Formats: sequence, C-alpha cells, structure tokens
Amino acid sequence: MMEKTTMILCGFSAFLLLVVFGYICYLLSSGLEALRPEFLFTSILDGGILEPVVGTFYLFAGATAIVAPVGTLAAIYMVEYAPRGRLTKLVDTAINNIAGIPSIIFGIFGFTFFCKLLGLGICLLSGWLTMACMMLPIMIRSAEEALKMIPVHIREASLALGATRWQTIRHVVLPAAMPGILTGVVLSIGRIAGETAAILFTACFYTMRGLPRTPLDPVLTLTYYLYVLILYMPGRLEPRQVFGLALVLFLLTVALNSAAFVIRAYYRRRWHRWT
Amino acid sequence: MKQYITTAPDRLKVRGVRWKSWRPPRHRLPEWAEVIAMLCALSSIAVLSLIVLFVLWEALPAFLGWTGVSFTLENRWSVEHSKYGLCVLLVSSMMASVGALSMAIPVGVAAAIFIAEVIPRGLREAIKPLIELLGAIPSVLYGFIGLKTVVPMIQRLFGIYYGQTALAASIVLAVMVVPTIVSLSSEIISAVPVEYREASLALGATRWQTIRHVVLPVAMPGITASVILAFGRAIGETVAVVMVAGTSTELTKPFWDFLQPIYPMTAAIAIGFGEAEVGGAAYHAYFAIGAILLAFAFTINLIASLLLRKAPVKVRL
Repeated sequence: MMEKTTMILCGFSAFLLLVVFGYICYLLSSGLEALRPEFLFTSILDGGILEPVVGTFYLFAGATAIVAPVGTLAAIYMVEYAPRGRLTKLVDTAINNIAGIPSIIFGIFGFTFFCKLLGLGICLLSGWLTMACMMLPIMIRSAEEALKMIPVHIREASLALGATRWQTIRHVVLPAAMPGILTGVVLSIGRIAGETAAILFTACFYTMRGLPRTPLDPVLTLTYYLYVLILYMPGRLEPRQVFGLALVLFLLTVALNSAAFVIRAYYRRRWHRWT
Repeated sequence: MKQYITTAPDRLKVRGVRWKSWRPPRHRLPEWAEVIAMLCALSSIAVLSLIVLFVLWEALPAFLGWTGVSFTLENRWSVEHSKYGLCVLLVSSMMASVGALSMAIPVGVAAAIFIAEVIPRGLREAIKPLIELLGAIPSVLYGFIGLKTVVPMIQRLFGIYYGQTALAASIVLAVMVVPTIVSLSSEIISAVPVEYREASLALGATRWQTIRHVVLPVAMPGITASVILAFGRAIGETVAVVMVAGTSTELTKPFWDFLQPIYPMTAAIAIGFGEAEVGGAAYHAYFAIGAILLAFAFTINLIASLLLRKAPVKVRL
C-alpha cells in the first residue's frame, strides 16, 4: 500500500512538470491572434517587432561566426591532437567553470572589457564577443562529442593508407563529424537564444531606433525588447501583442532546441551501426 | 641510393624559385594546424582568466574600502544614499534559492525516480526532452509568465496588495531549476548497474525496497550534485528574478517571512549597474557583488564535480 502511494506520488510529480509545460504553452497561445505577418514586419515605432526580430538574427549570426570555428578547432585539438594531455585537462576544467558562471557576470565583464577597455562602446560587436564567450563551453563540448563519436578504425584506415594526421582530420574525420558539429552550433544558439542579462549592458539601448547599420551600432533583440516592455515601458504595446512577442520568442527557442535534438538523435543512430 | 633523396629546401634552391612565387609548402600545414588548434583551445582558458581577473580587479577597491564607502552588514542597499549593506542582498538571494530548492527537490527527485525506474524506455525518450525543453525556455519569458500568473495568484491567495514577493521568486525559480535536477538525476539513476537491482530482487526485495535501499544510495552522490547545480542556477538567475522578486532596498520583515519583496544580488546588478558611473563607488560595489557570485559559482562547480566522480556513470557538468 505504502509502496503504491509512493509510486503514484512520483508519477504525479513527473506529470506535474508536463502540466506546467502544457500550461505555459496554453498561456502563450493567446498571443497567436497577434501573430500576423504585419506584426512581425513593421517597425517598433508603428507597433510591430521588426527591429527585435532582425536584431536577434544579427546577434546570433555574428556570435556563431566567431564561436563556431574557434570551438571546432579547440575540440579538434582536444580530441585529435592531445587527448589526455595536461592542457586538455586544463581546458576541460576551464570549460566547466565558464559554463557555471551566471550570465549577469558575462554582462558586467563584457561591459568593462569590450565596451570600456577595448573602447568598442555598447554595440553589436561587443554583444557578439560577449555572447561568443558564453557559447564557447557548449560549442567545444558538442564538437568534442561529435568527434569522439567517429569510430577509431575509420581514422586508422585513413592513416594506414598513408594520409598524414592533418589529411585524416581534414578529409575523413571532419566531414563525418560535420552533422554533429552543426548540432553543436544549433544547440549553442538555442542555449543563448533567451539570453538577456549578458546583453543588457553590452549591446542594447532601449532608446535605440532603427536597425544597426554597422557592427558598431547598438541593437535590439526579442529578449531585451520584452524585458524593456515589461519593466520600463508597460503599455507601449497592447497586452495581446506582448503575448505575441513572447510567443515568437518561445517558438524560436523551442524550434532551435528541437532541431538540435532531432539532428542528434538521427546522427547517433547513424553511427551506432559502426561502433 | 642516398643522393636521390633531396629535401624540400634543396629543391627550391636548385630550381631557383623566386621569393614572389613562394607559397607555404604543403607539408608545413599540419604543424600550423596543430598550433592554431592549440591556440583555440587556449582561448577558453584565456576567457576564464580574463573574467576572473577583471571582476576581482574591479571588486578590489570596494572590498578594501578605497571608494570611500565600505560594505556594511546593515539592512539597507541604496546607492543614492551611499548605503551598501550586503546583508539585504545576501539574505534575499538565499531566501529565493532555498525557497526554490525546497519546492524543486521533492518534485524533481520524485519525477527523476519515476522517469528512470517506472516508465518504459520508449516513453522515457519522449518525456525527457519535454522536461529539458522546460529548462531551455528563456528566463525573460519565465519572468513574464510569472508576472501574469504567479504574482496575481499570490495577491489573491494571501490578500496582499503587492504580489512581487520572495514566494513568487521562489516558485518561478523552482520551475526553472527543476529540469536540471530531473535530467541529471534520472540519467544517474538509470546508470546504476542492473546487477545490483537483480541481486536485490533475487533476495526477495520488492521493487520499491530495491529502489529505496539499493538504487538510491548508489545514485545519491549524483542526485546531490544535481541539487547543488540547481542551487547554482537559482542563485545566478537574473532576469526572471528582477521581474517577480520586487525590488525592495531593505527587508522589512524577518527572513522566514516569504511574503515580502526582496532584492537578490543578481537583481541589484541588473537594475543598478547600467546607471552606475564607471569607476565610481557604486560601480565597484556591483563588481564586488559579481565577485561574490563568481565565488559561489566556482565553489558549486567544484563540489558538484567532486560528487560526480562517485557517480556510476561518467557525467560531464
């Protein structure tokens, strides 16, 4: 009897979490009626959210362009060149610790280092660099995982044919690991898609109007615009439209995370045959 | 035989290749590739050390009292009045995180046991991503949802005028950190070797007795680690807390009263840092809070990774 009750309680708490998730979906679905093309593609001055949408895209694109090559090369070093090296261990510890730092710390660090010390000012470029620092752990971690998933005998086959180490990496390992690395890219974008605290002081002004023309202009993102709408300018948009904005943000995160999940599941099954 | 083998520089000399048409020889690329890859790997160490150095450097004046105003333990944090009482911020952060954990631990661990032990494998693969998705929802959205649901609920339930309280912050944070507990704990529980369970079941123990006395003790270090990581996430969470915690510059009631507005460390930085003058007393004070948060983060990471060493499966943070 006692056992059954405990089991039911356990099941109930798992169920509760799904209910919370469902309730969030239900709540945000009231933004559905505001979600029309003209809402997405009008300027914020006319009650739309064009600038935040495009700004979010700019921010991700730049940060990804910085972090994807660096993260992939770092993972290549750690998996292919120096597995179990002293440096690899050190990098591993560093990644673990970076991943645990609260995002607001990245915000104030980015402000002092990129905006003030390097003199970039509050702009898209500072936002890119700050975001790249935040994405680095996830990117290295997933690229590493993707490289480790390639069976050793494939590398051995290439080396046995007389290919050098770099040729093996470049022509055998990297093409095979590419889907996994892409998952890492999508995953790291998904992880920071909802980031507000880190760009609060580095990339955004809420008096900002229009789209950034150069990387040295400030930018508006969906998260930051929602934050400002709630805290500083309540009543600027109708409640319905605020829900629409929240829904856009929600769908974006869900889409990115499920895309990463689907690619990874497919990819795991593909290499499973070989190992 | 030996004279036929020439090295690359010799060949270049013999043919008299001019400097202009010289390109880096192909066989050198591998060495460069390794060096470049190593530099990229070093970048992560550089980022970490830059963050630590900068935060500590900017926090130092505030800790040493060079800015003219020193930290006190009084119950008031108000930059306009030059009152830097750390007490209110620390106590607020602790209230929000401990409140969140007291709700998240029972639900999270119970759900993890259920997902790892009871649900068939196929269904598990469907439910776990959904719960992880709960953790991927942006914190600004959680703040928004909390403002729309939790805050009015507290106002109605307790009949108070101001719903942005420690309780609201705790509830929102609990939902945010539960996925951390569930996903890590369930992974560790399902990694407990099947031989242990079989041995226990063969001795005549029931399923629940097996879970309670065999599986859970083995998985306990991992579950503790997941709880500690959840605590780290709760204490570092910023934007959602700013929206639902209410920003009170002093605590008017004792710390066990959760129906009062609080002012956690992260919220103080998020609200005040933008207006602080660079190099001023407030600026250094915010960095000092940052240094405290950083210390929390590193300690939590250290404890969690030590605990995870005892886990039945190799899990990375």
